[in-house]
Amino acid sequence: MQLSDTPEPARADAEPPATPPTPIASPSPLRRKLAAAAFLLLGVPALASADPMPSSPSWQLDATGLLYGERQRTSVIEPTARLTRLFANGQALSGQITLDAITGASPTGAVPSGQPLTTTTASGMVTTLPAGQVPTKKFNDLRGASDLSWDLPVGTLFKATTGAHYSREKDYQSVGASESFSLDVLRRLATITIGGGVNRDGVFPRGGTPVPLSDGTQVLTTGTDRKDVTTGLIGLSRVLTRRWLMGLSMTRTLETGYLTEPYKVISIVDSTDTAVDQRTENRPARHDRRAALASSVYHLAKDVIYVEYRYYWDDWGIRSHTADAKYRLELPDDAYLLPHVRYYTQSAASFYRPSLPQGDPLPTFASADYRIGDLSGVTIGATYGFKVPGSRGEWNVRVEYLRQWGPAGSFAGTGTPGGDDGGGGERATRAAAVALPSSKFGAFTSLDIGTIVVGYSIPF
Amino acid sequence: MPASSRAGADVVRIDDAFLGRFMAFGGPCDVLIDTDDRAEAETAITVVQREASRIEHAFSRYRTDNIVHRINHAEGASIIVDEETALLLDYAATCHEVSGGLFDITSGVLRRAWTFDGGDRVPSREALARLLPLVGWHRARWQRPRLTLPAGTQIDFGGIGKEYAVDRAAAQIGNATPRAALVNFGGDLYATGLRRRDRPWSVGLDDPARSGEATLDRFELERGGMATSGDARRFVMHEGRRLGHILNPRTGWPIEGAPRSITVVGPTCLEAGTLATLAYLQGPNARAFLTEHGAEFRIVD
Repeated sequence: MQLSDTPEPARADAEPPATPPTPIASPSPLRRKLAAAAFLLLGVPALASADPMPSSPSWQLDATGLLYGERQRTSVIEPTARLTRLFANGQALSGQITLDAITGASPTGAVPSGQPLTTTTASGMVTTLPAGQVPTKKFNDLRGASDLSWDLPVGTLFKATTGAHYSREKDYQSVGASESFSLDVLRRLATITIGGGVNRDGVFPRGGTPVPLSDGTQVLTTGTDRKDVTTGLIGLSRVLTRRWLMGLSMTRTLETGYLTEPYKVISIVDSTDTAVDQRTENRPARHDRRAALASSVYHLAKDVIYVEYRYYWDDWGIRSHTADAKYRLELPDDAYLLPHVRYYTQSAASFYRPSLPQGDPLPTFASADYRIGDLSGVTIGATYGFKVPGSRGEWNVRVEYLRQWGPAGSFAGTGTPGGDDGGGGERATRAAAVALPSSKFGAFTSLDIGTIVVGYSIPF
Repeated sequence: MPASSRAGADVVRIDDAFLGRFMAFGGPCDVLIDTDDRAEAETAITVVQREASRIEHAFSRYRTDNIVHRINHAEGASIIVDEETALLLDYAATCHEVSGGLFDITSGVLRRAWTFDGGDRVPSREALARLLPLVGWHRARWQRPRLTLPAGTQIDFGGIGKEYAVDRAAAQIGNATPRAALVNFGGDLYATGLRRRDRPWSVGLDDPARSGEATLDRFELERGGMATSGDARRFVMHEGRRLGHILNPRTGWPIEGAPRSITVVGPTCLEAGTLATLAYLQGPNARAFLTEHGAEFRIVD
């Protein structure tokens, strides 16, 4: 190939043809590099299909397996699988299936007794405990949950996300739908998100719904108690500098209906703090919850720092603070390590009572559930992500250790903190997390919980 | 059945060849097939058009359903890219390296501040200062196949995508016809070989002063790529100076002092186009750059 001299009259300001054409015999290092790069790019086998197709993977599978354990009491196995289909027009449809298999024994809420203690449910099922043992109820449960989500981009700046979920376990059913819209503004340096959701849940306690603050032998209904949840969210994320992304969001959640924990009881104690009787708990039928979240993502040369702070308050009198930090450390061969530390503290709900004094008039509302009591916790954990050479999939392993503590004797309840869902996966651990007074230090009782999650993602 | 209904391209006979024309990459794309067989030409033109459409679809920054959109909206998250995207990113990384950072696929955001419509609007210093922090391939983490861009940073294959498509499409013509062909996407072109009776392809050089109306020169091309960089159609006037649309990623300001048009010949359209762009980025030193690197070129000042 060569440039020929022009037979046509050239303009006065035109350059004379480059003559003679320079041979390509001795290309410069720059040209050798370009040629090598072009050869790599163009030298791969031509893509056989002449049909237009998206170049990005059109399916993605994400699978995780969670193992949750508390000393001696409860173990949970939770496998999940999420399948995402990316369509050529930018839409994405994603579905997830989750199973929780839980076995163990859950404290009922009653305080350990110096005397044999009988616990009952409204159904008449009775267990009797020897003295000095934390009253528990043996259980095993299987929960199945599924959700669907649909992303619909409209133009380049707007996206709508529609979601629906259904979950079912022995005594609880949840059906919900959500919708959110996000809009990029300020030359895409900021994104505004507005969303909302509704749940229509049903509670159908085994043995029927007990009469509140009763001895548990009387049943209000053997049917389904309704619980409605409405959530609204508004958020703003903003690129501050090329390395720094900040986010602010506010959520409000209104729960109405049957919000009491049907199996929870409160001990009636005498003047020596000995349990002499017990009552079922009772909570208000309305729970107005609000949370404000500030988050920051900062990119260093290679690594990334994530910091979050969350403040939560509700009309039950619970206030909580959560501070969360992660550091993503890039390792060779596409691997990374993500250490994680989190601190959480909350104040008790106004009707939280570890126990009720014998002879006092019963309050209208009362619960001994530690999840709405004074509570603090520290989580320390790390995620390690890596790829197996030759495979497109990515593995990650997350290990976390949570220590929660509160005033002595406060861990007779069960479950993760109920005032705040900041701990991640309130649904997943709602039935799973069982409190165990594993050690006492000073005026506090503490609880230790370990979690291991193995995840695998592959586009195909 | 005419090709226009099958592939969307207009096919006409020109002398002893067929010309197919369709729109892609924001402009007209021409395919010349050196044959007298219309059906054969239509098949070959369809192959070229499909490949152009595929690549434009896959790598255009204007679409919302492709990998570029996913990368540009990852907000700091890592994106795992497919093999073809990885190869393009590798190539772009090489261009960035050999140009000392002047060739930068993340510089596209600077165009938000500029309007190259031949008018005289230039952005304020503040407007550029706000965008410059988003520019810089050296701040991207490209660990094949994982790309992580700082939030707000975006990539744009505009500097290489069209040339890549020319080479890719031309390589597929052999599946449709044994005849020689010339692929020309908006001035970036590739010839697959000599025409019948050992004639080379004839290519006119557009006069940047009267773009689209006059040619300055005529080249003969046998086999290989040719591409032109310049500011013929997209520029802005500022204080009596003509500023082209090719921006310096360090300053956000157009490269000044470069020739009106730089045409380079190379073994592939991709290399020709890259060399022409790299030369343009040298501004007044474009000629010295091409000479130093032993390129075949034609410059119009």
